[in-house]
Formats: sequence, C-alpha cells, structure tokens
Amino acid sequence: MPMLTNILRKKPALGPGMWLFLGLFAVLILIIPHITGLTTTTLLSRIYILAIFGMSYDILRGYTGIINLGHALFFGGGTYIAGIMFSRMGATLDILLLAVLVSMVFAAIVAYIMGQFAFRGSGFTGVIACAMITLAFGEIGRHSAETLREYTQGADGLTFRVPLMFQDRVMMYYYALLFLIAMTLILRQFVNSPTGRVLQAIRDNDQRAKFLGYDTKKYKLIALVIAGMASAAAGIMFALLTRFANTELLTVQSTLNALLYTIVGGTGTLYGAIFGTAFVQLAQNYLLELRGIHEIFSRWLLFFGAIYVLVVLYMPKGLVGTYLQLEEKWRKRKIAA
Amino acid sequence: MSETLIETKNLTINFGGLKAVDDVSISVKKGLFTTIIGPNGAGKTTLFNLISGLLQPTEGIVYFKGADITSLSPMQRVAMGIGRSFQLTNVFPNLTVHENVRLALQSREKTGYKIFTSYKKFPALQEEASALLEQVLLDDKMNSPASSLNHGEQRKLELAMVLAMKPDVLLLDEPTAGMALEEVPAMFELLEKTKKEQQNTILLIEHKMDLVTKLSDTVIVLVNGSVLTEGTAAEVSENPDVLKAYLGGGILNESTA
Repeated sequence: MPMLTNILRKKPALGPGMWLFLGLFAVLILIIPHITGLTTTTLLSRIYILAIFGMSYDILRGYTGIINLGHALFFGGGTYIAGIMFSRMGATLDILLLAVLVSMVFAAIVAYIMGQFAFRGSGFTGVIACAMITLAFGEIGRHSAETLREYTQGADGLTFRVPLMFQDRVMMYYYALLFLIAMTLILRQFVNSPTGRVLQAIRDNDQRAKFLGYDTKKYKLIALVIAGMASAAAGIMFALLTRFANTELLTVQSTLNALLYTIVGGTGTLYGAIFGTAFVQLAQNYLLELRGIHEIFSRWLLFFGAIYVLVVLYMPKGLVGTYLQLEEKWRKRKIAA
Repeated sequence: MSETLIETKNLTINFGGLKAVDDVSISVKKGLFTTIIGPNGAGKTTLFNLISGLLQPTEGIVYFKGADITSLSPMQRVAMGIGRSFQLTNVFPNLTVHENVRLALQSREKTGYKIFTSYKKFPALQEEASALLEQVLLDDKMNSPASSLNHGEQRKLELAMVLAMKPDVLLLDEPTAGMALEEVPAMFELLEKTKKEQQNTILLIEHKMDLVTKLSDTVIVLVNGSVLTEGTAAEVSENPDVLKAYLGGGILNESTA
C-alpha cells in the first residue's frame, strides 16, 4: 500500500514565471531601504514586527479556535519589559538578552495562568467564559501599567534608549525582516507539528478530540504559551523600533488590531497575518496622508470600520484565504479539462 | 468464562422526570460481539453516553476491567481502552478525511506532544491511515474535507477513526445508519474481520435485526430504558416479550427497509 500516500496532496510545482516574480520581489524587499526614505523603511519594519503579533493571534483564533481578548498583554508586556530594563539597567546588548529571557518567562507563566482560568468550560459557554477571562487578564495588565508610574511613567508613556546596533533605521529594517522570517518559520513548523494538527482538530470539534483521547485543555495551554511567547518577542522588537511604550499597547484595541490583521489577511492561514498587517498599516498611512485633501481622512478609524465590515461580508476568508480558494478552483478546473 | 470488560450496575439517569436509562445492569465479555437493540427512544445511545463518559449517571456504577470508572472523564476512559463512534456525525469537518483518521492514529501512538517536528515525519501513520480508509471504502475521498462527505460516508469515516485507535472495546453507535444499502454487508464484514483478527470486543447499537443475527454472540434488548431480555440472537428473536415490544415499537420488520 505504499503507493497510496502518493495520492496525498502534493503542492503543484511553481512555474518559471512565478519563480521570477518571487525572485524580483525578494530583491525588492532587500534593497527597499536604499531606494526609499526612512519613513517607508520604518513603516515596513513596523509591518514585519506587527505581522508576528498578528500571526501569534492566528495560532489562537485561526488554528485553535480560542478567542483571546487579552492577547495584547503579551505584546505590550514584551515592549514594557524591554523598555523598563533599558531605562533602568542601561541600553546594552546584555540587557537586551536578559530582557528577552525575562519576557519569555513572563509570557510563558502569564499564558499558563491565564489558560488555567480561561479553558475551564467547554462548548458555547466555555467560549464566552474564555473571552471574558482573557479580557479581565488584559485589563489587569493595562491597569497595572497605568498605576505603576514609578516604572512605566503611567499614561505619559515610557521613552527609552536602545542598544547602539538597533539605532540605525536601515539596520533595524533588516533585523525586523530577519525576525519576521525566523518567527514565520518557527510558527509554521509549530502548526505543522503533530501538536499543531491536534489544535486544528480541537478548533473543528473539541468534543470529538476528547473522544480521540486528546487532553484538549493541555493542548490549548500549549497554544496559548507559544502564541504568548511569540507575541512577547514581537513586543520586544517593537520596543527596539519605536523606543517608546505606552498603555495603548496593552488595551483591548491593541488585541483587536491583531484580530483585524488576521481577519483581513485570512484566518487560519498563518501567512495571512503578514498581508493583513501590511494592508491595514499601509491603508492607515495612506488615509492619514489624504488628510490634506479632506478633513474626514484624519478619521481613518471610520474607514477601518467600513473595511472590516466589507471584508467580513464579502471576503470572509481574507486575502490569503481567498487566494488559496481561487487557486484550488483553478487546479480542479485544470484537472477536469 | 471469559473476562468481563465492561459492567454496569444499576445504571440510571434522569432527564427531569424521564428515566432515559433505568436500572440497567449489563456486562460485556472480552472478545465477544454484543449487540444492543431496541425501539427508538429505548435509551441505547444514552447508555453509550454513560459508558463513554459523555453523561454522568444519576445512580449506578460503570466498571471497566474491574475498575470503577464512573467519575472518570471521557479522555481518561479513552486512555484505558474504550473507543466509541457516534450516531450523529461527529468528525472534524474542515480537515481532510485522511487527516481525521491520522489524528486518531496519532492519539494511539501518543505523538501529539511533539511541538516542532513536522507531522510528516511519521510516515507509518500516514500509510496506516490510507490503508484504513481503503478498508472502509473511502480511499477515493482521502483528500476531500470531511464536511464534503455524505452521511453514509461520514459513518464509514467514523468507523475508520474508531478502528484506528485499536481500543480494547469498541462502542459503535449504529455504524451503518444512512449508508447505501449495498455497502452495509461490506461494513459488517469489516466488523466481523476486526473482531476475529484482533480479538476485539465490540458493543454495537443496531436497528437492523437481520444483520446482527449472524454476528452477535449476545443480544441485549433495551425497551423504555430497561433491559427486557438478553441472550443469543435466536433466543431473543423467539422471545414473545421482544416480539410484543417490537410490534409496539414497530421496527422488527423495518429491518429490510
């Protein structure tokens, strides 16, 4: 029976045209900081970093079916931990390594505790309880940052210096790009692991997964810990890029941004988060630039609301999801022909 | 006398005022094929839910291999060796047919906690999933999402999933319901083969009396939540009480429909 597996889906090979396009795209990505200004370079760095925040959210919502309304706690937590440590202990590489270590431990522990409370119920009430409990955790984080003024400067926000090697915008662009590539590979490996496969089963049918013998709560905990750590790592990169942390990073709005990235890009596709983040950030920037034409464009959230509704109504699978769907259709047509 | 695998003692469950399962004490012997029959609403599926842990009884105890498992979670029961299929379709709709079975195999092989190895690094599981799907006549649907299967095909998938887990006892809830009639004998052949080759213990819920006669070592008749009688297929079918219950419920002759 070994030939049976040969029937299992194989990705069709890329044509030469596609390779050429991808190659040119890669070159463009690599030289872009040298052909555009600092504004674009920084905007792209921002997109790369936030994409990982979005991707970590996709692990939860898209792959495991968890609604986490407190996910910003990990992202903002990473930014704050880096910021506080830089401003108190000095902006050196050693401190950065320490900050990475501390925030990974922070994210793992907080995710574990959050999950212990959030994943108690099952079924529909379980989903609601999970959303409410994670919301509460997120709010605790935001409130703590507001009240611990001594460390965080409260609502004013915390400005700090970063190690020298991250101060150059062009170099920072490459670090952000490297971070995006490395994290995408790690997270892709995760969702394609046996564990990742169980997560998708849980998303589809929690009860059946239990009857196959899977301890679904434990698997959800793993998902939350991994997503939390990835999100905190993105938070640290964000600190290196912006050199600033404020409580806005910890708000529900921040979590909803991650949700928006995944919805626009395509839930449960992982890569979708990259395209979703790019689309949202570029649109936001473009709309703000239109301010000069008409006052209404400074209210870009208004347009975002509209985009959000349109995507959910007409493109529920997002950019990448819709593309994959079309590709599948073309492939079937080709086979039929 | 062979070893008793599953035993229930005075098992009772109340849904409000309704006793869906009322004082049921049955035992399932190792290596035997036991069938539960009974009219609609007799409490067959509810009894399964009690044994597999989906429901908690109001009263009574469930034993498995001699241990009291009444308060264990479904997952713990699976780990002990109880596998079940569901009467109502209960698969992973967005995953492929092959992946549904592969997940069942993965659970059996306990490779689920490998976080950063590709699932493709376990080719044996992939092969075995393909082989199982061929057995249940689903190999041509391997790459389709489970949601695209019709009802009968989903029943086959359910069967492949529970077989994949190689449990000590298989609880099968009407595995052939909704299946194309000409495919039913093939499924029962498969069950028979499973029983013989692997000395499996099977507890089956079935509507179609004529099909179970050949296979069953023991038939338990459940009516209104209680055990009406128990015996070989021949004994049971000649029992006047059973005939009466079935004529009342009107399903004995429905078997050919």
